[in-house]
Amino acid sequence: MDSLLYLLVYPQRPLLTTKTIELVGYDKLGAGQNATVAVMSYSGYDIEDAIVMNKASLDRGFGRCIHMKRYCAVNQKYDNNTQDRILRPNRDGTDSGPMRVLDDDGLAAPGEIIRRNDILINKQVPVVTRGQFKSALNDSEFKSVPQRYDGPQGESCVVDKVALCSDKHNNLCFKFLIRHTRRPEVGDKFSSRHGQKGVCGTIVQQEDFPFSERGICPDLIMNPHGFPSRMTVGKMIELLGGKAGVSCGRFHYGSAFGEPGGHADKVEAISETLVRMGFSYDGKDFIYSGITGCPLQAYIFMGPIYYQKLKHMVLDKMHARGSGPRVSLTRQPTEGKARNGGLRVGEMERDCLIAYGASMLLYERLMISSDPFEVQVCRVCGLLGYYNHKLKTGICSSCKNGDNISTMKLPYACKLLIQELQSMNIVPRLKLAEA
Amino acid sequence: MEGKSYQRVPRVKIREMRDDYMKFELRDTDASVANALRRVMIAEVPTVAIDLVEIEINSSVLNDEFIAHRLGLIPLTSDRAMSMRFSRDCDACDGDGQCEFCSVEFHLRAKCHSDQTLDVTSKDLLSSDHTVVPVDFSDSAGMESSEQKGIIIVKLRRGQELRLRAIARKGIGKDHAKWSPAATVTFMYEPDIRINEELMDMLTLDEKKAWVESSPTKVFDFDPKTEKVVVVDPEAYTYDDEVIKKAEAMGKPGLVDIIAKEDSFIFTVESTGAVKASQLLLNAIEVLKQKLDAVRLSEDTVEADDQFGELGAHMRGG
Repeated sequence: MDSLLYLLVYPQRPLLTTKTIELVGYDKLGAGQNATVAVMSYSGYDIEDAIVMNKASLDRGFGRCIHMKRYCAVNQKYDNNTQDRILRPNRDGTDSGPMRVLDDDGLAAPGEIIRRNDILINKQVPVVTRGQFKSALNDSEFKSVPQRYDGPQGESCVVDKVALCSDKHNNLCFKFLIRHTRRPEVGDKFSSRHGQKGVCGTIVQQEDFPFSERGICPDLIMNPHGFPSRMTVGKMIELLGGKAGVSCGRFHYGSAFGEPGGHADKVEAISETLVRMGFSYDGKDFIYSGITGCPLQAYIFMGPIYYQKLKHMVLDKMHARGSGPRVSLTRQPTEGKARNGGLRVGEMERDCLIAYGASMLLYERLMISSDPFEVQVCRVCGLLGYYNHKLKTGICSSCKNGDNISTMKLPYACKLLIQELQSMNIVPRLKLAEA
Repeated sequence: MEGKSYQRVPRVKIREMRDDYMKFELRDTDASVANALRRVMIAEVPTVAIDLVEIEINSSVLNDEFIAHRLGLIPLTSDRAMSMRFSRDCDACDGDGQCEFCSVEFHLRAKCHSDQTLDVTSKDLLSSDHTVVPVDFSDSAGMESSEQKGIIIVKLRRGQELRLRAIARKGIGKDHAKWSPAATVTFMYEPDIRINEELMDMLTLDEKKAWVESSPTKVFDFDPKTEKVVVVDPEAYTYDDEVIKKAEAMGKPGLVDIIAKEDSFIFTVESTGAVKASQLLLNAIEVLKQKLDAVRLSEDTVEADDQFGELGAHMRGG
């Protein structure tokens, strides 16, 4: 089942739709907002489809969304007639801090502000869950397994709802809906309805934003390089139609082709409306720079475009790690945000470091910070030996002596490879030279 | 160093002034000054806005932070804001921002008892200070509606209740748009339009009419009596170059000469209602002066700190 729900705080109806959209009822879904878009270059933080956003618009609720996530906990029953139990929180114990959101029933209370590592449910599990039937258990036969909230660090979320139900095995099930209201930040992804997606590159104060002499100030700025190769003519027509729509007060149709007899508003008609409302026929406006107050060199194509906030938000993806968990097989750092993984210095990054000649950095990244391992190597047979802690020497198990043993460091993954090859009847031998 | 003085004395001529709207000319100055004025009006004139909300009961359909956000955006009358203190450098309350010098308390209690939905509006916000109240739009708009409605905060169904305490504080638009007193502040260069009458006389009647029509805004008009093209509203010109292109297409380049006067600006100021448009301009000039003083005195940092506090530190990039 879906455990995530995204809601837009101030959804709007698109200014420009098509007949198909209306038939499907898609214009009643309210999936985005009509943003006044200026198609121009601004500040360089708009390269590669990034968009520049107006801070005042964001303050006023543009792109603001509510993120709801469901967390689940089960009061499990076991074969030996025991079951989990939920305990009333100990308000002055060691865990009283993370337990502050809990109600007296041991569950997080709706309306409480919850932070990362706060306890959602104060659950205890019986130590013995199998074997012969047991009746009443005492406290020592339980171990505490509180479920903690693993939301974003540093953000304060709210417990929106708590629901109790039974799952398919007839266990008591607790569901927590955690709500988080987010305003757009640098790195959040937005898209128009033409597949022109882009992340927010920077957020700029309103006074620095360009403005027209009517006082129109765009909500976001999009780089014109997005147009030529994508050929999203529809977006330009949407801008024109939307601009005509807001100025004359009628929702416009932007159906494709605009064939005669169709209901679509053709660009010619839209242009006439624009001229009637005192705009230029081509949808371009005379714009002043907000920074200097001087007019811009070019006329700027500006008007409303329906923008949607996409669910890819930096807050969910942001990740960094110092030291942390490792994979037991290779002893290298884990991968991925969910496992608090490291950021891999991949093949290409490695190539860069080699090309630059940063050997010590390379050594540090690939070995010290990854999976260093000390091995005993026999200089005679070239095989790996072992370290005998009683004799305090390395011993080669194939030569059966400790005379020609060298201690060296190599990546654990390398030692693993050597041993795996040995298990397949291939003998890799190390030839050591003086370093 | 003796030299020519570049000092100019800008002139302001007010054309139109209403409580929430003002149009004025600013002459004998540069774009930098005009733009500084615009920027200060948008971002640095202080107002009062709700900044902290404590919700007691909220059984409405909107969640707490949603309502808090909406409350923040309600404009409050802020004539007192210039003399108020920022709560962060208020001595009376050690910066917790809950004293009379830096904050205003609001209460809202609403419960729907009927089957009709109840609109909770800005009128339901009860202020502890009669000088800081939600802006009343009913009379300024001139509409005589039977009910004077404020800004809708939330709608309540039968049995739903909203009860909260809100604290309004002084702030500037730079921090959050809710503190911006300006709805729109914009200016344009005053255009100087000169029709070349010699070339114009060479046009036929229809050509003249077509030329007049080519401007998307009504800048020119054709006088049927004198059969001349006259400039009726130069300020309607949006620097769209349409008439110039049209003249070129008609084979008469130079028919009209339009230049932007670089030292005169026409400002349009619309206020949110927090302060009157005229007061907004005066406050902006005051803030601008303070900023300039801070720059002038920035060498003498200690003194500037004493005199301008936060602003002085801010000007030095602190």
